Amino acid sequence: MPEPESELSSREVEHVARLARLGITAEEVVRYRDQLRHILSAIDALKQADTSKVPATAHPLEERNVMRDDLRESCLPVEAALKNAPSREDSYFRVKAIQE
Amino acid sequence: MTLFQRTIRELHQMLIDEEISSVELTQSVLDQIDAVGEKTKAYLLVTRELALRQAKGADERLRANRDVRPLTGIPIALKDVLCVQDVVSTAGSRILKGFSPPYSATVIERLEAEGAVFLGKTNCDEFAMGSSNENSGYWPVHNPWALDRVPGGSSGGSAASVASGEAIAALGSDTGGSIRQPAALTGIVGFKPTYGRVSRYGLIAFASSLDQIGPMTRDVFDSALVLQAIAGHDPRDSTSSLRPVPDYLSTLRNGVKGMRLGVPKEYFVAGMEPAVEQAIHDAVRLLEQQGASIQEVSLPHSDVALPAYYIIAPAEASSNLARYDGVRYGYQAPGAKNLIEEYMATRQQGFGTEVKRRIVLGTYALSSGYYDAYYLQAQKVRTLIIEDFTRAFEKVDALLGATSPTVAFPLGAKTQDPVAMYLNDILTIPANLGNVCAISVPCGLADGLPIGLQVIAPGFREEIALQVAYAFEAATDFRKLQSPLMRAAA
Repeated sequence: MPEPESELSSREVEHVARLARLGITAEEVVRYRDQLRHILSAIDALKQADTSKVPATAHPLEERNVMRDDLRESCLPVEAALKNAPSREDSYFRVKAIQE
Repeated sequence: MTLFQRTIRELHQMLIDEEISSVELTQSVLDQIDAVGEKTKAYLLVTRELALRQAKGADERLRANRDVRPLTGIPIALKDVLCVQDVVSTAGSRILKGFSPPYSATVIERLEAEGAVFLGKTNCDEFAMGSSNENSGYWPVHNPWALDRVPGGSSGGSAASVASGEAIAALGSDTGGSIRQPAALTGIVGFKPTYGRVSRYGLIAFASSLDQIGPMTRDVFDSALVLQAIAGHDPRDSTSSLRPVPDYLSTLRNGVKGMRLGVPKEYFVAGMEPAVEQAIHDAVRLLEQQGASIQEVSLPHSDVALPAYYIIAPAEASSNLARYDGVRYGYQAPGAKNLIEEYMATRQQGFGTEVKRRIVLGTYALSSGYYDAYYLQAQKVRTLIIEDFTRAFEKVDALLGATSPTVAFPLGAKTQDPVAMYLNDILTIPANLGNVCAISVPCGLADGLPIGLQVIAPGFREEIALQVAYAFEAATDFRKLQSPLMRAAA
């Protein structure tokens, strides 16, 4: 497992961008790497906080398990759902092949 | 005084007295948009025909005296992160250029039910990520007080529209200060309600555990009116609170006599401009003269709020923004050979620099091997920040501090240094992480640029924040200050 303290590498930036399905240029890789190193060093103060006695807060909600009645409701009409589609066929979104 | 310079309260009275019509009022604001819009660039889209149609409808409602509400006939600007059915809504991003939402946000439906008039969509940082409005995918906004300066962000267009007379009020959204900081930098009132107070349904998401919609107005009274209209449970947003909404006007004028107000010592941060610090000290003294008891308090984890935020918000954003894939709506890159190439090219070409930076940062913080050190640790720090506020509010009713450590800075001054830009939100972020509410109210000028006083109140105690801010405003003349653009056109 990599050490969080180690400096962010270009390969990691490329890897993370790939995970995020984000195309980036070689020049952007270097720029983001340097900027993120700077940001991460500013964020490092986070580790100084003593969090050994507290749970994590994922959200601030008071309500739990919000359910609605199991009733049939109207939904978005197909035409409305498709009206912004860059590419469609009949009542479907058209996508490129996933496999060759 | 010209109509576009007035407050909702004044205009509502004039409308019900039939001194003016909503069409006249709306035309006055549209004329001001024509006069100064090229200077501020506050709007991405002006919905002229819609506004005049709604104004006519409001006038019929007023004439018939049928369900007349405080916002009936009042022209309001909407931050571009809010979906309005069949009105292009882009969140300031090229990736959503031309996107026409198939439904409206709940806040939009509530304003429609009030009979409000929609002027258009205001410019903002792309997906609300920024503190200067320079991250807009379209163009930057200029501060009506000094056109070579930023209006703050991310609700910079909403702030500039209210400060320049291009709207009577506006809606913004606040994830780390995006309502309060631009309100402070443009001399208006901006209110971030408690998370859960206002429905987020139809708000284009940035960081879903932090985002909250709120009012941007000329004064505190108007802020209460707009919040009253938009607050409350919404079955379509399961994170909206079931707590009843109090009548904010009934306690607004109660004053601060006998109230306990705290001044967090950590909120006088390094890098704070002396004029801002002086204005806050003066504001605290004034509230003491009004009968409040003042004490210094400590929010000991304030220094780790900013680092925690810059993990949590990008992490949530990286997940939220996964939906922009070029398939269902928005931009689709041409010429890709297969689906994954299309995703990567669409997002590369469609997103701006800051958004990409945060997607990479957020994905990194969530990735295997770093999750515990960054994301989990940040969520635990969030708990410490919540506890800081809980302890402080055992001693005091509300907290006072600056909204922004500086006044509006020149365009371009911080665009090359993301960390310097992030520091703008150092005093506003804790309220988002801590699940409390906070309002910014004008408290002076430094070299002709506005300064904002921030009043922070406990979660779901919006009435306290409004009450303190109103008492401060009523004891000063700051609300009468108008930007040069607003004055010049009068």
